[in-house]
Amino acid sequence: MAMSRPLKGEPFLVMTLGVLSLFVIVLLLPMISIFLFLKPSVVEKVFISSELASEVRSALATTLEASITSTLILALLGIPSAYYLTRREFKGKATLEGLLDIPLAVPHTIAGIMILTGFGRRGLLGPLTTSLGIRISDSFWGIVAAMLFVSSPLMLDTAKAGFHSVDPMLEAVSRSLGAGALRTFTRITLPLSWRNIVAGTILAWARALSEVGSILVVAYFPKTMNILILEFLNEFGLPYAIALAVPYLLLTLVLFILLRLFIGQKFMSW
Amino acid sequence: MIEIKGLKAKLGSFVLEIENLKIEKGEYFVVLGPSGVGKTVLIDVIGGIIVPQKGKILIDGKDVTKLPPEKRGIAIVPQDYALFPHMSAYDNIAYGLRIRGLSEDLIKDKVLGLAKIFEIERILSKKPSSLSGGERQRVALARALIVNPKAILLDEPLASLDPRLRMKARSFIKGLHKDLKFTAIHVTHNIADAAALSRRIGYMEEGKLIFIGTFEKFVRSRYAVPYINEIKEIINKIR
Repeated sequence: MAMSRPLKGEPFLVMTLGVLSLFVIVLLLPMISIFLFLKPSVVEKVFISSELASEVRSALATTLEASITSTLILALLGIPSAYYLTRREFKGKATLEGLLDIPLAVPHTIAGIMILTGFGRRGLLGPLTTSLGIRISDSFWGIVAAMLFVSSPLMLDTAKAGFHSVDPMLEAVSRSLGAGALRTFTRITLPLSWRNIVAGTILAWARALSEVGSILVVAYFPKTMNILILEFLNEFGLPYAIALAVPYLLLTLVLFILLRLFIGQKFMSW
Repeated sequence: MIEIKGLKAKLGSFVLEIENLKIEKGEYFVVLGPSGVGKTVLIDVIGGIIVPQKGKILIDGKDVTKLPPEKRGIAIVPQDYALFPHMSAYDNIAYGLRIRGLSEDLIKDKVLGLAKIFEIERILSKKPSSLSGGERQRVALARALIVNPKAILLDEPLASLDPRLRMKARSFIKGLHKDLKFTAIHVTHNIADAAALSRRIGYMEEGKLIFIGTFEKFVRSRYAVPYINEIKEIINKIR
């Protein structure tokens, strides 16, 4: 059982408490300070008056639409893929899983270049994307591709953890009772791993919302919130960037709180 | 009737080989053998969880070797019972009937009828996590039998019960089989289970079924040597 406070004569625990306190201060300080530097008059200018407001609204809409689209596509691709990877053993599986995790490790500007070389007009699949009428460079679908690329390991790995937690024997019994593979998935596997799937989806969405590096390379236009924050910082200075950043931060914090609630709450207890 | 002919299933370095095995309709057949000899693999192969490399599995004369589990009509009761944790005992038992699209009224009649036989009416609304080992076993058996399968496969179904409950469960299953006459293959490492439940048994070693015959014949065979103390105990109890 965890102890509520270090016992006397345990200097190591006292030291770890000290390190934790320092860690918390270092992390919390910037989170609090951004609110302290917020100027309401600038927020009013950025969001309501002036021509900046329409640009901000457009960037917010693009960001939300692209992030939701990429998350939905990722859920459609990621959930069945994660299930297959969890339930089947095959040669090269470990290598494939490693490859699928690469977006976690790749610097995001390089991820952007990868997307251009893969799907851009002159990329490997360029002729295909062009023939389908999909433009990647400086387009909505470019933003979606960048968001999908960087957030895919989060969806895959969280869903895999969920499927791993379901005993395959439950599926075997379900099938022996007459349910096919799909019905077993929807009636047994999915209800038992639902929390992980939701958590993975929220994580992937949050990751998509925070992406900037690869989007800078792939699609500077149409502008997303992160690009606009960078632009405001360069053109108008810190107060304008903060005025734009804080409401956006609040949105991502809401997602984070939702995630914590989903993980923590036992809404499907057994 | 279940027939297995020239079966070979390879899993890594382990090989299951069953030359010939026939289990009559309504027979309760026990496969005895120490841990790790492939009893569970045998269950998985008959149940369709593992596809064998060679051989045939016939159920009532129909070749089911390549059929998926849901098309075989064979219900599995695993060692830990594998009750669906997000469903009540009632919903667990009703599961196979719902898959078959029966009306809720008919499902209720069937579940309550079987629950009465299994003496589990009181626990139907409970989730598996709040059931005792014995109760879980009964729910798992009821869930398997309610779909009227051609056979049920029981993988060490008494292993997690304490000795007193185990004896009670043995006589319960024996009585149930006498009444319902279902075909069953029950794998166990426990010779007392084999003695109590089956007239004819099979004995497995290293992936092979090396003995098939009556329990009495098994007791007199060289394969019974490792079980000599348990057999003496069983004989003393009978006397």
